[in-house]
Amino acid sequence: MTLETEVQSLRQVPMFRDVDPARLKLLAFTSERVQFAGGQRFFSQGDPSDAAYVILDGRASVLLNTPGGDIQVAELGSNALVGEMGILSDTPRSATIMAAEPTTALRIDKRVFLELLAQFPQMSLAIMRELAKRLERTNAQLVAQSSS
Amino acid sequence: MEKSLFRYIWTHSKRDQMIVCAVVLASLPFYFMSLDLPRQIVNQAIQGEAFRDGNTTAPFLALKYDWPAWLGGGTLELFEGFQVSRLGLLMGLSFVFLFFVIVNGAFKYWINVSKGILGERMLRRMRFDLFSMVLRFTPEALRTVKSSETATIVKDEVEPIGGFIGDAFITPVFLGTQAITALVFIMVQNAWLGLIALAVIAVQFTIIPRLRRALLRLGKQRQLASRQLAGRIAEVLDGIEVVHVHNAYKWERAEIGHRLFNLFFIRLEIYNRKFFVKALNNFLAQLTPFFFYAIGGYFALRGTLDIGQLVAVIAAYRELPPPLKELIDWDQLRLDVQVKYDQVTQHFAEERLGPLLEDREPATEDQPLIGPLLGEEIQIAGPHGDMIIEGGAFEVELPASVALISNGGAAAGILARILARRSLEFSGRIRIGERDLAQIPISVVGRRIAYAGVDPILFPGSIRDNLVYGLRSRPLGKLKEDKPEMDRRIAEALRTGNPIESIADQWVDYERLGVKDENDLDRILLELMDRIGMGDTIYLFGLAGRIDPERHTTLAERLVEARHRLRETFQSNGMSDLVEPFDPGRYNSQATIAENLLFGVPVSDAFRGRNLAENAQFRGAMDRAVLTDELVRMGLQIAETMTEIFEGLPPGHSLFEQFSFIGAEELPEFEAILRRHGRGEGSLKREDRTRLLSLPLAYIEARHRLGLLDDAMMSRIVEARSLVHAVLEEAGSEGVEFYDPERICAAAPLRDNLLFGRVSYQVANARARVAEAVATVVRELELKEEVEKIGLDYQVGTAGRLLSPQERASVNLVRCLVKRPDILVVDGALAPFDEARSQQLVQLLLELFDQQSLFMVLPNDRQAGDFDVQMRFRDGQIITNKTAASAPRASTPEPDAAQRIAGEVA
Repeated sequence: MTLETEVQSLRQVPMFRDVDPARLKLLAFTSERVQFAGGQRFFSQGDPSDAAYVILDGRASVLLNTPGGDIQVAELGSNALVGEMGILSDTPRSATIMAAEPTTALRIDKRVFLELLAQFPQMSLAIMRELAKRLERTNAQLVAQSSS
Repeated sequence: MEKSLFRYIWTHSKRDQMIVCAVVLASLPFYFMSLDLPRQIVNQAIQGEAFRDGNTTAPFLALKYDWPAWLGGGTLELFEGFQVSRLGLLMGLSFVFLFFVIVNGAFKYWINVSKGILGERMLRRMRFDLFSMVLRFTPEALRTVKSSETATIVKDEVEPIGGFIGDAFITPVFLGTQAITALVFIMVQNAWLGLIALAVIAVQFTIIPRLRRALLRLGKQRQLASRQLAGRIAEVLDGIEVVHVHNAYKWERAEIGHRLFNLFFIRLEIYNRKFFVKALNNFLAQLTPFFFYAIGGYFALRGTLDIGQLVAVIAAYRELPPPLKELIDWDQLRLDVQVKYDQVTQHFAEERLGPLLEDREPATEDQPLIGPLLGEEIQIAGPHGDMIIEGGAFEVELPASVALISNGGAAAGILARILARRSLEFSGRIRIGERDLAQIPISVVGRRIAYAGVDPILFPGSIRDNLVYGLRSRPLGKLKEDKPEMDRRIAEALRTGNPIESIADQWVDYERLGVKDENDLDRILLELMDRIGMGDTIYLFGLAGRIDPERHTTLAERLVEARHRLRETFQSNGMSDLVEPFDPGRYNSQATIAENLLFGVPVSDAFRGRNLAENAQFRGAMDRAVLTDELVRMGLQIAETMTEIFEGLPPGHSLFEQFSFIGAEELPEFEAILRRHGRGEGSLKREDRTRLLSLPLAYIEARHRLGLLDDAMMSRIVEARSLVHAVLEEAGSEGVEFYDPERICAAAPLRDNLLFGRVSYQVANARARVAEAVATVVRELELKEEVEKIGLDYQVGTAGRLLSPQERASVNLVRCLVKRPDILVVDGALAPFDEARSQQLVQLLLELFDQQSLFMVLPNDRQAGDFDVQMRFRDGQIITNKTAASAPRASTPEPDAAQRIAGEVA
């Protein structure tokens, strides 16, 4: 697997869809490709947010820490972006991410990511667009819930 | 130092000066003979004057003296000489000439060398004297003395003085005798002409020094201005951070520019005057022949002076100017140097210096500093004349721990400095037992009192050097030195007033510290560092440090064992994918291509980084392995990718430095290379190829993931290793230390030696897990201490800048602790630590000093209760309280005092 394939994966992520290919390449190049063994944690709930991950290969579980123990609330597959909210809002991790099987991910360092956003407005715009879409979806869901 | 330079020179070098002077005088006859010989060769041998009367032979080497007529005339013949033919005489005289040339040369050589050595010895003495005075600057003087200016003085300003010292007495003697001889000769020929010459010389010697006075004033200004320039440059450099922060470049540039203008202006003035004086001097020198021609000619016409005499006088006068001119130059130099010397002595004026440092104190003085500490009638004035403490008094039974609780004022800090003998600016009496604190000799203070202030001053060197700095009070004379070498060193030191102690000697008195040797001391240092909370840091420094097989024998022996153990640990714990080991037969995808090719660590710069691409031996090996084209091709690919993805980032962006193979400033150049290549302009130029080849050398497949290496390429690189080794070995190059699984690699950091491989970039959290495993193995094999000893070798950099503020403060504290002082005064040394750490450290210090005395300045009384005694400062008074538990006899403090304290805290 080379930089090119990672760029392909990044392109599948909605948040990066509109980003210029050269910038995606820079993002990939400045990121690290890391492997997690099955059961190994990407990070734990409450940890400081230091990086976002794009899953290149494998699966990971999203776990929430509750008084009754960890419960799985979602599962992430290839091309999923995880941990980006934490680095954007500068808040601790809101959930635990654990590899469900041997998983390869691209680790995007927080500092590098923010510097790229600061440097390339076009990239920031793409991110904002995606965040706005998410907000819109959440609003729609709220409306649907309250009306039902 | 003596006020007069000449007295200084004479006091310290009269014997040498007199010897050289004597040799100079002894050489004069030989010099005059060699001047006379050419005339003899031409007249007697070549023109044949000696054979004029039809003689076929003439005497050679005849020694005879013609008595002057007024002594009755006649000839005294000492040796009638050898009778030789004309050719024989020519050859004989020529060889005599050669002999004198050699003798004169030898004299000149000896005199110059002796003068030089004399000057250098005096320079050494003077510099050392000045440095001794640097150590004696009083605290008041230190407020105004600039370090860089002082350094300039000791290094640069005394240099010309040293050069002059060799000539100080010898030159005037030598030139003076020459000039006087010529003058006497003229006088003998004609008294009037002699008087004229003398008059002109008198004018020269009176007017010119007067004119030169202005020059001296300017010289003084120049010296001060250039000294201040040096001082200012150092100030800007020391405060460069503030210049950056406040964007004060323009101001600083203008400031220095202005100084340079002033300096230029002074120099311009100096040149104008200097050459005017020179011109006048030349004119006066030429004036005398004018008088000779005019007046001498007049006498000749009148018949009172015969022509022969006039010609002789003029000829003699021709001999006069050179020594005179040099004498005047010497005089100029003398004044110049005297000015410099005055400036130097002013900088080190007596009133700025403290008392002479005593050398030895009687051993009886060296008693522990315990007993009642009694302060009476203490008056301390503030910098503005206000009274900080007025009639303060206290009594504490030492050893005790005392909290000096600062009420936000300066009193606590000042009293701390006084107790540590850092300051003597108080009146009143402070006694420890029978002794007056102010009278305790410095050497006892150095040994028995330690002071840790706000500013942790570290010297460049290793952490260990800084920690034992306080233990180096005197050498123990255990140095085994080569006898003749030592004699030479000591003789030279004695001749120049320098210390005879050698820094190679053992300066640390292990016995006094209760340790066996260096290793034992290291153990104590490490324990203290550990307790103060720097143990882990030292361990990490150790892992990053390099092993010296000669010094760290234990570790060197067991390192390979540790390496194997670590590998086993990795394998048995399923961690083998965390580290990719260096294997002579396999490509290491976590390492750079350069490392894979060399399979070793560069020792010399010629093999490091990009230099490798220009290294002829390495390039030769690449050519032989037919890898050059491949590497250049990879370089092209890297350059293409880098120019593509880093385009648009501003130069100097941190991402460039962190990630790019190509610096921002090089980007256009590589773009140009790519364009040239793209246009298909034949093969690339040699320089282009070298630049491209340098790129893949830093390429790590696992990290950069550009997909440049396939399995075939990797195995070709592995095959090329042996070729690289062979080529380097053939060339006898020692630029690379190769990896060997069974041997340590001294050029590589200890961590690499233990891992003998590279931590994987691809496995999540690999670094932390590997570090843990390494720590476990190091602990199991009981090598932690050995690793930490290497950590003590860590270089702290200028003023300790390579350490964090907390680390600097820790080193500063341990430096005080290791001395085991009777009294430790801590004044702000814990400032860099946060509240929690600082509380822990206070507890630690209290624990370590339960047998000795600890004085600590505290900002509030939150922790004061842990001390035996609390001192508070209020209305110029010192209020002492004893903690009830530790000092039962003082269980009932005055109610009045207690109330005051309560009010103060509120």
